[in-house]
Amino acid sequence: MRPLPLWLKSGRVQTGLVIIFILAVCAIFAPYLAPNDPNEQNLLSILTPPIWADGGDAMFPLGTDSLGRCVLSRLIFGARVALTVAFSASIGAMIIGAFFAHVAGYFGGWVDWLIGRVVEIWLSFPPVILSLILMVGLGTGLRNVVLAIVLVDWTRFCRVLRSEVIVLRRRDYVSAAQLVGFSHWRTITREILPGTLPLLITLMSLEMGVAIIVEAILSFVGMSVGSETAAWGQMIADARQNIYDAPFNLIAPIFAIFFAVFGFNILGDGLRRTLDTRLTQTERT
Amino acid sequence: MRMFATIAKLLVKRVLTAIPILLIVSALLFCILRILPVDPAAMSLPPNATVQEVEAMRAEMGLNLPLYQQYGIWLNKLFHGDIGRSIHFRQDVTSLIGSTLPATIELAVIAMGVATVFGLAGGLFLFYVRGTRAEAAMDFLSILLLSLPEFLWSLFLLLIFGVFFEVLPFTGRLSPGFERPVVTGFLLLDSLITGKIPTFLNALEHMILPCLALGIALSPSLMRVLRSSLLDAYQDDYIQQARLRGLSEKRILIRHGLKNAILPTLSLMGVQFGFLFGGTLLVEIIYSYPGMGNLMVDAIRNADLPIIQGAGLTYCIAVLVISIVVDSLYLILNPKLRVR
Repeated sequence: MRPLPLWLKSGRVQTGLVIIFILAVCAIFAPYLAPNDPNEQNLLSILTPPIWADGGDAMFPLGTDSLGRCVLSRLIFGARVALTVAFSASIGAMIIGAFFAHVAGYFGGWVDWLIGRVVEIWLSFPPVILSLILMVGLGTGLRNVVLAIVLVDWTRFCRVLRSEVIVLRRRDYVSAAQLVGFSHWRTITREILPGTLPLLITLMSLEMGVAIIVEAILSFVGMSVGSETAAWGQMIADARQNIYDAPFNLIAPIFAIFFAVFGFNILGDGLRRTLDTRLTQTERT
Repeated sequence: MRMFATIAKLLVKRVLTAIPILLIVSALLFCILRILPVDPAAMSLPPNATVQEVEAMRAEMGLNLPLYQQYGIWLNKLFHGDIGRSIHFRQDVTSLIGSTLPATIELAVIAMGVATVFGLAGGLFLFYVRGTRAEAAMDFLSILLLSLPEFLWSLFLLLIFGVFFEVLPFTGRLSPGFERPVVTGFLLLDSLITGKIPTFLNALEHMILPCLALGIALSPSLMRVLRSSLLDAYQDDYIQQARLRGLSEKRILIRHGLKNAILPTLSLMGVQFGFLFGGTLLVEIIYSYPGMGNLMVDAIRNADLPIIQGAGLTYCIAVLVISIVVDSLYLILNPKLRVR
């Protein structure tokens, strides 16, 4: 058997991958795993406590919310929204951010100046405020949440990758490629991109965690998916209203968000340690 | 004297670059919010208004003009301190923002203090345990903390100290029954000026949880940067030289290590404090704190465009001001940048 690649041997990467795998299983097989329909309202049994507390009902292992909906089922279905947003928003932000970073870093000059100023303008908005305003303009819905996060967070990729591209552009093999007569496009994709890829992958992993948090924030203020789709942020908003009657309803989605974000963060940290060529061997272990 | 001149030069330069940024930001805000499928004219009239009345209102509000002219009018009014009237609250946006902004600034500034204290203490501790077995554990813990944004910290602290132990209040700025002095709008300051100590203490109690939530959430990234810049600084020869001169480790850390390592941390703080100012929005909603965040979310729910524009612009100005202040601090603390 071939030995595992170095990055897969890292405990952090493994922990992150296991967490993401668990979430993915929840999201994909949600209809089979959830004990109840996440949107079915049982108005006769609202705010039931979880099964281990007094008055718990075996039908609702983690209790019910203020409309009598099963908390566990909503939690499992909420993973769908979270992961959809995490993957599509980070891919979108990565593509836009990486494109502008490579163009700015490679060509330099006024192109770099212009892109730098655009990023500066973007950064003068607190991200939460910008995404909220974009959601007002775009309207609610899963697609628009993804779009809003992409439009806010592409600068994260652009800023960090740009300086990496500038370093790589000065390498001899890049000049060699230019001398041989490679086109700009070919030089960027064949010579520079392989060098920025480790950083790109690390940033993407971290961005997935950020996207999950932003989606939760947006759905907490009611500016994300509609009320017919279960999302963790909505569960928190509902539980905040009944904090004295059902504190556990608040703990469950908080933990879910934390669990997911931690998974992506620890994966990103593990990848950074194993893939970043600038780190020394001692720092890596 | 020379330092003041350099700082003044920086300030002028930064303010001059901030102006085009703000112009573009305001244009962006204006455009994003004008493509909305809501009609401000119809919203500011009673529901039984006739089509003619709505049309007249549209003309009066200038909504029939081309977009760039509308923006010009809006900008012109903005320079005269008029950003319109709220459609929902039927009040001037300036006065609405004026009454909520001090609350948000108070929250943000104290939270920045908390973040600085936790960040510096944590960073020094992380550095102190370098190379020991505790380091791996602390490093892991800091990733764990990085995964908890201020939004989750607020809820978490609220549950523990507000609901389970009931030791701290978690709604609003003041408990009912307390007199509310209004001088500057900054409640803590006002209650001190007017000598109302019970009000001051009560307001302070209300600030503890939201400020802790914001501050703690921000500190892990500061800790990590401080630690790695301390590690970098300790690679340099002057540390070794200080040791050879027989200085104590504590003195080396404070007078030589920290003095150099604080700079990268400070430049990160500028960005982070900008984020923190935006983060107050969530914390305000969770703690029902009557600041600009609550105003903004109310406005969004009611599609109240003038407030969204005004508050959005105010948030941008705040971020720019914070970054200018941090940059000046950076200059004061960094002698290398001073002499050009």
